[in-house]
Amino acid sequence: MSQALTLECRPVRLRAPHWLALHALALWPHGVYVAQRAVDGSDDPLGVVALIATLALVASLHARLRLSPQLPWLAAAAVLALLANGAWWAGVPALASALVAAASLACALLAWWPRERARAPLLGLVLLTLPWLATLQFYLGWPLRVLTAQLSAWGLQLAGFAAERSGASMVVAGRLVIVDAPCSGVQMAWFAYFTACVGAAASGVSDRDFIRRAPRVGLVVLAANVVRNSVLVALESRPAALAPPWHEAIGLVALGAVCATVWLLMRRTRGRDA
Amino acid sequence: MPRHTVSRKPLPLRRVLACIALSLIAALLLVWWPPAHAEDTDAGVPESPYFHVRSDDPGVDALPLKATQVDVRIAGVIAAVTVTQHYRNEGQRPIEARYIFPGSTRSAVHALTVRIGQRQIVAQIREKQRARLEYDSAKREGKTAALLEQERPNVFSMNVANILPGDEVRVELQYSELIAPHDGRYRFVFPTVVGPRYRSPAASKANGPLSATAHLQPGVASNVAFDMTVRLDAPLPVRDVHCDTHKLESLGLGTSHVQLALADDGPRDNRDFILEYGLAGERTAGGLMLYQAPPGADAENFFLALVEPPAAVAPVQINPRDYIFVVDISGSMHGYPLDTAKVLLRQLIGGLRPSDSFNVVLFSGSSRVLSEQSVPATQANIERALRTIDRAGGGGSTEIVPALRRVAALPKPADVARTVVVVTDGYVAVENEVFQLVRRNLDQFNLFAFGIGGAVNRHLIEGLARAGQGEAFIVTKPEHAAEQAQRLRRLIDSPVLTQLKARFTGLEVYDVEPAALPDVMAGRPVTLWGKWRGDPRGARLILQGHGAEGSYTDVIDAPQPDPDAVALKFLWARQRVAQLGDDEALMGGQTQRGPITALGLKYGLLTSYTSFVAVDQVVRTQHEATPVNQPLPLPQGVSALAVGAIDGPSISVVVPSTPEPRWPLALALTLLLVAVALWHARQTADTR
Repeated sequence: MSQALTLECRPVRLRAPHWLALHALALWPHGVYVAQRAVDGSDDPLGVVALIATLALVASLHARLRLSPQLPWLAAAAVLALLANGAWWAGVPALASALVAAASLACALLAWWPRERARAPLLGLVLLTLPWLATLQFYLGWPLRVLTAQLSAWGLQLAGFAAERSGASMVVAGRLVIVDAPCSGVQMAWFAYFTACVGAAASGVSDRDFIRRAPRVGLVVLAANVVRNSVLVALESRPAALAPPWHEAIGLVALGAVCATVWLLMRRTRGRDA
Repeated sequence: MPRHTVSRKPLPLRRVLACIALSLIAALLLVWWPPAHAEDTDAGVPESPYFHVRSDDPGVDALPLKATQVDVRIAGVIAAVTVTQHYRNEGQRPIEARYIFPGSTRSAVHALTVRIGQRQIVAQIREKQRARLEYDSAKREGKTAALLEQERPNVFSMNVANILPGDEVRVELQYSELIAPHDGRYRFVFPTVVGPRYRSPAASKANGPLSATAHLQPGVASNVAFDMTVRLDAPLPVRDVHCDTHKLESLGLGTSHVQLALADDGPRDNRDFILEYGLAGERTAGGLMLYQAPPGADAENFFLALVEPPAAVAPVQINPRDYIFVVDISGSMHGYPLDTAKVLLRQLIGGLRPSDSFNVVLFSGSSRVLSEQSVPATQANIERALRTIDRAGGGGSTEIVPALRRVAALPKPADVARTVVVVTDGYVAVENEVFQLVRRNLDQFNLFAFGIGGAVNRHLIEGLARAGQGEAFIVTKPEHAAEQAQRLRRLIDSPVLTQLKARFTGLEVYDVEPAALPDVMAGRPVTLWGKWRGDPRGARLILQGHGAEGSYTDVIDAPQPDPDAVALKFLWARQRVAQLGDDEALMGGQTQRGPITALGLKYGLLTSYTSFVAVDQVVRTQHEATPVNQPLPLPQGVSALAVGAIDGPSISVVVPSTPEPRWPLALALTLLLVAVALWHARQTADTR
């Protein structure tokens, strides 16, 4: 009888790091996949940064983690882990099963998460550990490029340029400028949401406010990318080609503005987030 | 662990259950929708040149064309060429072989025969769509069939359906071609390979479809055994036989009957075969030739006049000119072709007079000009231009149409004649658009085109020159650059034969091509085609015009009709089709479809609207044939960049884009900003 009781209680007696390590181990095929994608050149290895940020966030709250996990979250984590591994063996696309695995790991983390801390930023960071960029470029890249090119064309027309959109390209003053995959703003969106998650976690924004403000982050990214693209297209329409450092510099200024805006957006509003 | 440490709030069971349910549904959907796998049968038809990937299916023979044999017989000024393609299926499944191959820009393809074992099938000329239907129907029924289509005047596609395992199929096509002398020298060209053509995404449909070509990787030799024999039968002893492109064995040199055969050990089919020769004596063969058809209701007689122009005379005074050099620096020009182009441009630009002005337009995906308006040909400007050209590395696409539009928009002084010199390999599929653009700007410039490389697109180069009322030059090696540059200068500086008119006495002629004779540049013969009626005895052709030394007249007596010169019929029809094609290119659309189709059907000629189709009547298989695209070698000197591969950095004019900053820079900035913000937040909290 006493042995049975000990077995029943063992899960809750494991400390959070051990539990999470075991949970992560159970999801090893997905971890291997994410690691491979990070090093094989098929995607930018930004997921590593999100992973480090997640670990840093967990470590910073280590002392405040629950002593025993919330069972519903733990149950969800277990079910999702089973699903993720089942999907893996069933041949479901690796990124899709890795998404379920990441959700499982996030649920496991949230089971230990302090009650007063928002959960959504943590979930966001865990999801950002996945290799999203290439996939998003593939599925979302084209519409984003067309949208960016169209908005840029309108903006440049207002500024007095003879600008037209043709597919995902632009013709400005008779000169063709392509708005190709690296111009879509997907990378900027990744950095913006990364900043949003870190900012929200640091300022203690509530889940509700984080979720409500997240779409605005997308709008900020779109606007900044349109401005960045318009400036570069206007400069590229001159007879002399624009040197690559200028591209980098203008892109960095736009990204800096986005990060700053997103950080401000994710600040805790006195009274409402309290 | 004591139970009271667990939250006492009611468990959000409903939410958890909803979450689990949603996850289950998502997982089920993912399993239900199996991941997509690429399969060849699902693949769309490629639109751009691509590298051949060898299939790992041992049942399919991916390289069905085993040999090409070319037999050329040149009698006087007419070449009769027979090309025999040997297909053999060494796989285990029936295949449909598809082969894109080049032809001469002036060839009149008039016969196709297919041999399967002992059976011989003579192909019929049909309207293009009908031929395609007949071929597709035979293919479905399991009959062996062949379809020969023209994709461009110098690019053909051969489809051979239902080649069964172990089959030997020989497809034999015949064409005739005029070998007109230039500067007293004859030149016969046989292109062996189609270069990878760039297809502009913005290209209009006016250019017509052009099949994507599969290419072997650079350095991979073709599996096709290529052989060629040439027999020259001239009225005078043949002298100075010269072939820069291939090694030859010859027999009977110095006589009027010469036989030549290829003697190369290495690859033979990755470059044009170019044969040059002269005849003993001062005048070239040619003059007036007559063909009289056997008597009948539809009998038509044809003539060809090929008259050597008077020798060019250097003028006393040369007026200054404005030169625009338009240079292709796209991927297909990377390496050896661009190096040749640079040598040529050094010769051309370096030879300008100080009174001339010039500009340089470099183009690939986009274009770049040396200056917004032409600059005087001073030593400093020439050196600046040469430095700009030297820096060009070759890369990117070939947007020739926007580049020529830009040339047309360059400001030009009203009193200075402008000459545009285009230097390219011509690997584009927008020929009609280019010709249209040049013709519409004829009041602003005349145009000379230089084709660079071992297997240039002669349809574009010659068509450009024809549309621009200039001349076409082909430079296959850097050491030929100086000679060709000199030739251009001579052509531009020397006076031409103008206001030329031709009339016959004693013979009724009609359907004469061209309707109006163009001005004659030095070295180019006057060529006149047409039909005749009546008795040619005592008839004469009289040519009159203005030359450098006053009025010019040449009188040629009509010879006896030659009943064997049936090729004149095909060549006349080919000339008429080319003229209609030029008109169509200018007007756009398919405005000349009817007349071209009628000519093709009447004279049994392959045209853009008529094809040859041969169908075996025996049903030979019930299995569907696997389509196989016979890959072509890359033309000599052309790098993988022509097919879109990237083999290293190069300075070139590519279409600009607006990429985001590289991720390490973006990451560094973001982390820096986040760190600063966190530090600031902590400082603020400490202050409170």
